[in-house]
Amino acid sequence: MTTVRLLTRSLLYYWRTNLAVLLGVVAATAVIGGALIVGDSVRDSLREMSLERLGKIDHVLHGPRFFREAMANDLAAHSGFSERFESAAPGLIMRGTIELQTKEGVNRVNQVNVYGVDQRLWEMTRHGEFAPPTGDEILLSQRVAEQLQYSMQANDARAGQVLLRLELPTSIPSESLFGERDDLSQLIELNVRDVLPSELGVARLELNPNQQLPLNVFVSLSTLQDKLGLAEQRIRIPAERRVEIIPAKVNALFVSANNVDGAAPLQQIADGNAGPDGVNTLNDLLDASLYLDDLDLNIRKVESKERPASAYFAIESERMLLENEAATAARTTAKKMSLSQSSVLVYLGNAFRNPRIVQPAKKNNGTERGYSMYSVVAGLELKPEPPYLPSETPFGPFLFAGDGLNKSLGERDIVINDWLAEDLEVEAGETIEIDYHIVGSHGELPEKTVAFRIAGIVQLEDESGRPTVAADRGFTPHVRGITDVKTYDDWDEPFDMKTDRITARDDTYWEEYKATPKAFISLEAARKLWNSRYGGQTSVRLMKREDKSLDETIAEFTPAFLANLDAEKTGLVFQPVKFTGLLAASGTTDFSGLFIGFSFFLILSATILIVLLFRLGIERRSRQIGLLQAIGLTPKQLRRLFLGEGMIVVVAGGLLGMYAAVGYASVMIYGLKTWWIGAIGTQFLDVSIRPVSLFIGFTISVIVALAAIWWALRQLRNLSSRELLSGQVETTLAEIAQRRNTRSRSLLLMGSIFTLLLLAAALFGFVPSSEAFAGLSWQVVVFFVVGILLLALILKRLSQWLQADRVNAVQGYGLFALGRLGMRNAARNRQRSLFTVGLIASATFVIVAVAAGQRNPTQEQPVYDSGNGGFTLVAETDKGILFNLSTTEGRSKLGITPEESTSLEGIEVIAFRRKPGEEASCLNIYQTRVPTILGVPDVMIQRGGFKFADTPDENPWSILKEKNEDGLIPVLGDMNTLMYSLKKEIGSTITLPDKEDPEHTLQIAGMLDGSVFQGVLLMSETHFRELFPDRDGYEYFLIGPRFDQSTGQLNSAATSSEEVRRLSQFLETRLSDFGFDVERVVDRIAGFLAVQNTYLQTFQTLGGLGLFLGTLGLATVMLRNVLERRSELALLQAVGFRKNHLRWIVLWENAFLLLCGLFIGAVSALLAMLPHLRSTGANVPWKSGGMLLFGVFVAGMFAAWFAVAEAVRMPILATLRSDD
Amino acid sequence: MHDGQFDLVTGQLGKEFQTTAGCLPILTNVNLQLNRGDSLVITGPSGSGKSTLLYLLGLLDEPTTGELQMLGQDVRQLNTAQSAQFRNEHIGFIFQDHHLLPQCSVLENVQIPTLPGRGANSATEKRARMLLERVGLTERLDHRPGQLSGGERQRVAVCRALINEPEFLLADEPTGNLDPHTAESIGTLLLELSQEQNTLLVCVTHSLELANRFPQAANLRDRCLDLSNTTASPQQPAS
Repeated sequence: MTTVRLLTRSLLYYWRTNLAVLLGVVAATAVIGGALIVGDSVRDSLREMSLERLGKIDHVLHGPRFFREAMANDLAAHSGFSERFESAAPGLIMRGTIELQTKEGVNRVNQVNVYGVDQRLWEMTRHGEFAPPTGDEILLSQRVAEQLQYSMQANDARAGQVLLRLELPTSIPSESLFGERDDLSQLIELNVRDVLPSELGVARLELNPNQQLPLNVFVSLSTLQDKLGLAEQRIRIPAERRVEIIPAKVNALFVSANNVDGAAPLQQIADGNAGPDGVNTLNDLLDASLYLDDLDLNIRKVESKERPASAYFAIESERMLLENEAATAARTTAKKMSLSQSSVLVYLGNAFRNPRIVQPAKKNNGTERGYSMYSVVAGLELKPEPPYLPSETPFGPFLFAGDGLNKSLGERDIVINDWLAEDLEVEAGETIEIDYHIVGSHGELPEKTVAFRIAGIVQLEDESGRPTVAADRGFTPHVRGITDVKTYDDWDEPFDMKTDRITARDDTYWEEYKATPKAFISLEAARKLWNSRYGGQTSVRLMKREDKSLDETIAEFTPAFLANLDAEKTGLVFQPVKFTGLLAASGTTDFSGLFIGFSFFLILSATILIVLLFRLGIERRSRQIGLLQAIGLTPKQLRRLFLGEGMIVVVAGGLLGMYAAVGYASVMIYGLKTWWIGAIGTQFLDVSIRPVSLFIGFTISVIVALAAIWWALRQLRNLSSRELLSGQVETTLAEIAQRRNTRSRSLLLMGSIFTLLLLAAALFGFVPSSEAFAGLSWQVVVFFVVGILLLALILKRLSQWLQADRVNAVQGYGLFALGRLGMRNAARNRQRSLFTVGLIASATFVIVAVAAGQRNPTQEQPVYDSGNGGFTLVAETDKGILFNLSTTEGRSKLGITPEESTSLEGIEVIAFRRKPGEEASCLNIYQTRVPTILGVPDVMIQRGGFKFADTPDENPWSILKEKNEDGLIPVLGDMNTLMYSLKKEIGSTITLPDKEDPEHTLQIAGMLDGSVFQGVLLMSETHFRELFPDRDGYEYFLIGPRFDQSTGQLNSAATSSEEVRRLSQFLETRLSDFGFDVERVVDRIAGFLAVQNTYLQTFQTLGGLGLFLGTLGLATVMLRNVLERRSELALLQAVGFRKNHLRWIVLWENAFLLLCGLFIGAVSALLAMLPHLRSTGANVPWKSGGMLLFGVFVAGMFAAWFAVAEAVRMPILATLRSDD
Repeated sequence: MHDGQFDLVTGQLGKEFQTTAGCLPILTNVNLQLNRGDSLVITGPSGSGKSTLLYLLGLLDEPTTGELQMLGQDVRQLNTAQSAQFRNEHIGFIFQDHHLLPQCSVLENVQIPTLPGRGANSATEKRARMLLERVGLTERLDHRPGQLSGGERQRVAVCRALINEPEFLLADEPTGNLDPHTAESIGTLLLELSQEQNTLLVCVTHSLELANRFPQAANLRDRCLDLSNTTASPQQPAS
């Protein structure tokens, strides 16, 4: 006989117990390994999704700017391109609304991604058998078709044509004077050719990583260009006697890199052509391929026949205002080339007036004297010395009528031309007034007046009648529809003109001089008056080189200028979208951790089961252990022997568990695609098995199981051989445990009093509702503590009850009397019973508390300091709205009649600016970096509201106005977004545009709790405009009852659900041109919460499964009890108890323990969650929760059947007589 | 005596066990006729079938052959439930191991057999107290079995056996686990109580000291019951 042989024999002889332990290990391994596989699967699926949706697209250039379509070819033709990249394709990416006319009305889908594609881009996508759209064809992604309720069946009324509403692109920003503020949307009629199934990568094409299905439609690039005025145009400019060719434009460029292996490790991709290095090369190539057109820039040659020596050129922008980046590059280049340069900022004066003759109050008195309309004022760079104005040809010298300037121009000094002086009947030294528009943030154009002292008067012509510098038309940049038209009547201006005030002299001036400025001020003064976030100049004028012609100078200047221009700062920069997507997939929500957390009770139950089963096995063999000790084995040798036996079982279980882990993971992944689809919102998940995860699962569970076994064996140390030989293991152990546990009852009493006091304080309002931590109020915390205390106290009380002798267990008759005896049996091993009840109670507590934590905000009312902030509706648009929806004037600009306006009284609309970014709400499981940013207007900051967490301030919104010394810009975000999606906390920073090239740093200054602002960051509008000057208008709206600051009350009249529905419909219909998409705030929050609720459900389900496994533990305990008491049970039979009596006794004991656990856990949890249960948004799944607990009870009772069967199976005689 | 019959009658009672080696006879032709008030001790070497006979008489096992009548009733005809009921109402058991429930007090343990029948009530409690007083355990009513000595435990077991006022008291090595002094007192108690309660006592033991105190004794040898030592009423078969 050898130890190995003894071990083998024992393994086989006690195969039932060993099998049970093995199954416990299988369960633990399956759960741990399965959770890890779920994490791997989600990560790999997201990676696969990134590859699917992007196809061969690796890098994308996309921004607010439209550039030449030919850039794709230029880029590809570059010698360095083909080394690293395969192809480049132009495209258009627009946001629009799609409409389908049906018999019932119009079905509309807003916020649709419209892709203008040609064969080149189509080749890069995973499009299956589908050909790219041509002509007036449109391809709908399945999700769009579903939302549109579109049917592909030819005979269906819903097949055929759709209308696509898109914003017409304009060069001039709408928030500048000449920008178009009115709706410029274009309605395009298209025929649906195909619906692209969601399985196709192209149907899911999206540049930002997001697993939710995007709303995509595809239209032929050339069709879209035609309809949006982006196709090549040849424009005749009669005034300048030339034909201007405007090249076809796009706003996106897609590049496919060479040798991209999607399956390669992330690091390999990062180092390859698709990674950051590749994109750097591409951006360098882009810089070398840029044309002025690509940046909306043009070089204007200014030549005058009358003044041939005064030829120069100017850098101007299609946007009218020349961006500072371009101006800086122009000046740097000029400096390098030793070219003189002079910046100009021109602005339109609505009226120039001599206040001596025309009083502002009498502006419309019909007089023809003393004023002039609609002329340009130019701000010029001054010289520090006389003549102060630019003096170098061609920018000067100015010819003064009378004396020149005797000092530099002050802030309120002006030089006017002699034409204006004549009109205004003024002389030098007099004062004139100029009216001008400023552009308000809501598109309004209030008129302001500024007074200047005339410092000098310049002549338009010299003595010989030749035009002077002052007559230079080149001061004013070319503005289509303004500077190129013959008369004022032909102006295509985006504001109201007082045409009746235009004088004949004004008309004549326009005919002769067009937009030549009538007045000059200093550039500084001009910038103070008319500064714009779009740029501080309208042109930079540059002199030609003396030794070269103008054309030669321009030819030399242009490439040098483009080389000096940082294209990135103008928004023209490629992004490595595939790499970013793969990176985001790898850093996604840790589903492994999540599912290990969800499966916590499963793992715990399996571990406890292993302990219980193993101890059961050991105890059944206690006499054997005693014998082995008696014959001389040391305790260490004994432990090693049993540990060896256990290890074989555990390792075998672990190996089998690896297979079970795959099964468990498959079920979880299936669950994520079906039952818990709300958590991740995608069906494109596949099980992905990595051996390393299986090995980790195996290792962890084996270690846990062996630790459990070691612990079980360790307990036997306390037993002597005599006790072991006598088989009195459990009784002795229990006695040892009970000796240790001799606490006095005073502890229970004190605990009860304390709990009651705490509960009373919470119930009667003595506990503040202020925040304790992490968004939890003191009330919530106190109730939770009370719940936990209650659980502990009831368990303690149960312990005492079980120990007490005063309860007469043998009393009464019939089943009830047997039940009492069964309950008394629970006291036989108090420690074990308490352990079982405690386990079930704790699991029940967590599961019930989690279930009770579910919220349904759709039942919530607008409350100022809640997650809805007191708002009822949230809206987003496809394009910015400038006008203020809160004012009658603003509404009328949006086509809402005064009658309709009255019905909106009492409604407050707060408009936010929006910079689209990655979807960072919990609806996106990819890791996000820079989410959408909202610009919070001052009116919102003053209004305040919403619930904050961990944010100390009376009105946390006011933090947004601050900007600390380090230049960090304060932002607010929702707690969920910050903590789980962005992985940030208060004080953390986010750099823009990226970590490698930080331009701005945002700092998290506060956290909102459970708000409608999930997935976005909030910064003050002031900071927003500084950071994102290109973002025009407001695209995000919160709508609700007006909040009265003085009373702190919301207008209750506007909160009824009927009113909210009516308002929602009205706004969507009237503002459909903007793609105004309205949603109830509570629905949006519910959408976010659906994820949280789904996680809670998952936890509940898996926790329930764990609890179920826990009932198997209970069954094991019962089985142990029965085996221990077999002689007693036999005796009971001997004295006349029937088998049914025994069944009843065992079942009663089981039910008692089970019900105690379920009851204690559930009651404590419900008490702990009382504050939540009392809130209006509480959505406790009473039914499913009750069913779950009932199911656990039933399962527990079924599991006890083993014990019952064992109890009645035992032969009376053998048991009564057996020594064993 | 029961309607002129004996309270316990066995006729040609036999028991065999089926083993892999074939049929193994344990008892053959056991014939007994006993009445209440009788006290019979059965002795014999280990494995002779003493306990088997006792369990046959206690309806805990079924004979292979023969007749078994108790209180004039053919108890072999009883089904499991009826057997259990019969045991509960008419038979009291005492085992070598006391088999007391450790979770119940002494008083409760004594009343356990009342549960399947009429239930525990004040009358049963009174009787339990009376019996326990009789065996000298008044001070131990609320004690748990773990707090008692071996003799005390066996005395509780005796009380438990008598709680339902059984006609038959069957004892299987009741003093087997006890020291001689305690064994003697238990033996005395058993015989006295049997007489006091007018029960039919059948005791199986190895102990000659105990056996010698019984008025009636039988020896089980070669699977047969030898009643030659019987001094009183046990009846030999007619033929």
